[in-house]
Amino acid sequence: MATPEPRIRVPNTAAKGEILEVKALITHQMETGLRRDATGKLMPRKIINAFSCRYNGELVFSVELHEAVAANPYLEFHLRAEESGTIEFAWHEDGGAVYTARGTLTVT
Amino acid sequence: MSSGSVMTRRAVLGTVALAGAALAMRPARGAPDPEIALAEQLFGRAPVPSERLQLDMPAVFPNGYTVPLAFEVDCPMTDADHVRAVHVVAPRNPLVRVASFHFTPRSGRARISTRIRLAEPQNVIAVAEMSDGVLLLAKTRVEVEVNGCA
Repeated sequence: MATPEPRIRVPNTAAKGEILEVKALITHQMETGLRRDATGKLMPRKIINAFSCRYNGELVFSVELHEAVAANPYLEFHLRAEESGTIEFAWHEDGGAVYTARGTLTVT
Repeated sequence: MSSGSVMTRRAVLGTVALAGAALAMRPARGAPDPEIALAEQLFGRAPVPSERLQLDMPAVFPNGYTVPLAFEVDCPMTDADHVRAVHVVAPRNPLVRVASFHFTPRSGRARISTRIRLAEPQNVIAVAEMSDGVLLLAKTRVEVEVNGCA
């Protein structure tokens, strides 16, 4: 499988108190563990099982994902702009790998 | 028409009997519908159907592998009154839990848009866990034409 590639969309600037729309996607097969390969063997589960979003280090939003989230999991959610800083995203894969992305927000 | 509108005693009694039978076929008072029963089994408490939780999915979708799902909870998202989590459940998938979304007051708005897999046509359920401990339920029927291997 190709290396999962995170993509995010976060505004660069916002007014204090504004509610921002955030988009986060990672390219990923989300192999459910329920499918069989050509020889009839079950293909092991490998999914993104958790997602988190930290705003200046504080956990502000997270998701537990199960097998029924579609391939290339896409999330559109919101954050309230409080202060300038970084918004960090992390996707946790079965087996322990973590993929990350970050955005910078200037609050005026 | 006038003769048809005259209710004989026999017709009245028949109507009453039918109404009684219809009442008897409804679930007994306190017996929850299957979605509420499943949610209670999964989350420990029975949720209350609520229009504060809007679950938006297409009624018919060609492909069960990537079905759009969006929801929003009508809530101010303050420290005192916010959504803690929303759980999405697909009761007729081989694994019924789809995802759980955890919010904080800093989310600002409890709205999500994502895409899920449905193994067959079914009622998809969302349960919102509010900061006061109340569980809200919404459900929507989705017909998929090609089943997604969940």
